[in-house]
Amino acid sequence: MKELNPLLHSQLRLAIMSILMSVEEADFVYLKEKTESTAGNLSVQLDKLSSAGYISIEKGMSGKRPRTSCSVTAEGRKAFEEYVDALRTYLNL
Amino acid sequence: MEDRKLTEKESLEVITSMIAQTKQRYIGDGNILLMWGYVIVGVTALIWTLLVLTHNTCWNWLWFLIWIIGGIATPIMAMKKQMNKGVKNYSDSLTSKIWSFVGIIAIASTFICLGFLLIKGVDAWSMMFVLALVIVPFAEIAQGIVLNEKSLVIGGSVGILFGLFTLGCIAGHITLFATWFMPLFMLAFIAMMIIPGHILNYKARKAK
Repeated sequence: MKELNPLLHSQLRLAIMSILMSVEEADFVYLKEKTESTAGNLSVQLDKLSSAGYISIEKGMSGKRPRTSCSVTAEGRKAFEEYVDALRTYLNL
Repeated sequence: MEDRKLTEKESLEVITSMIAQTKQRYIGDGNILLMWGYVIVGVTALIWTLLVLTHNTCWNWLWFLIWIIGGIATPIMAMKKQMNKGVKNYSDSLTSKIWSFVGIIAIASTFICLGFLLIKGVDAWSMMFVLALVIVPFAEIAQGIVLNEKSLVIGGSVGILFGLFTLGCIAGHITLFATWFMPLFMLAFIAMMIIPGHILNYKARKAK
């Protein structure tokens, strides 16, 4: 049986990836609100996903406010699809 | 939500719940639509008044005010709207691309009309009315279909009816006199942009 990707097999990281798979990009505030996580924890998990090359993070300014925008990369998309496939085999779907 | 390991069943639940959250329908306010609607109606009313009072066609150059005001205000308002929303989905991209094409067509049409005027000395500006009353409402209908928003589809359809009437007038060599055509043009934009814009704002306020 295919092993589940340990990087994605965590509640918050999986939630982040699920959101980013369904949109083109989402900012930090949106992700924080939807995942109901703390800013610190979200920031750490985003860095882990980014280091793995699964998401790209763009930091910029929107008016006077800083804005962190995230989007899934091709590698992240592939990893997520493989994770879902593996999940299907585990759950016999 | 925390950084904890999940069972396979929990994983599936997280995925479905997060995807469902992003599927929530978001249209936003109608401020950009209202801005264009009021600018177009306002500038048209100004030109109409000046033309009727002075009979001097030089006032027609004031039409460029629409592009100047709209061209500056739209990116600022769109950026603010995007910032408030926090997410960009595929329907946002699609509608943004549709309106970008309308902008490109508008710029191309302006240059073609200017070319006719400067090279041939021919007045082809009625083409701009066709652009405003056929291509713009068509884009509005497309946006309404993508966002599943009836007010945009209905507003755009009314606009297209005015556009087809205009095309009929041009094909039938009926002169579009400012006295009657410009009030009709304003009416079209009230139906196409101002009314749907207020409906969207009402819905956005209600959703809060």
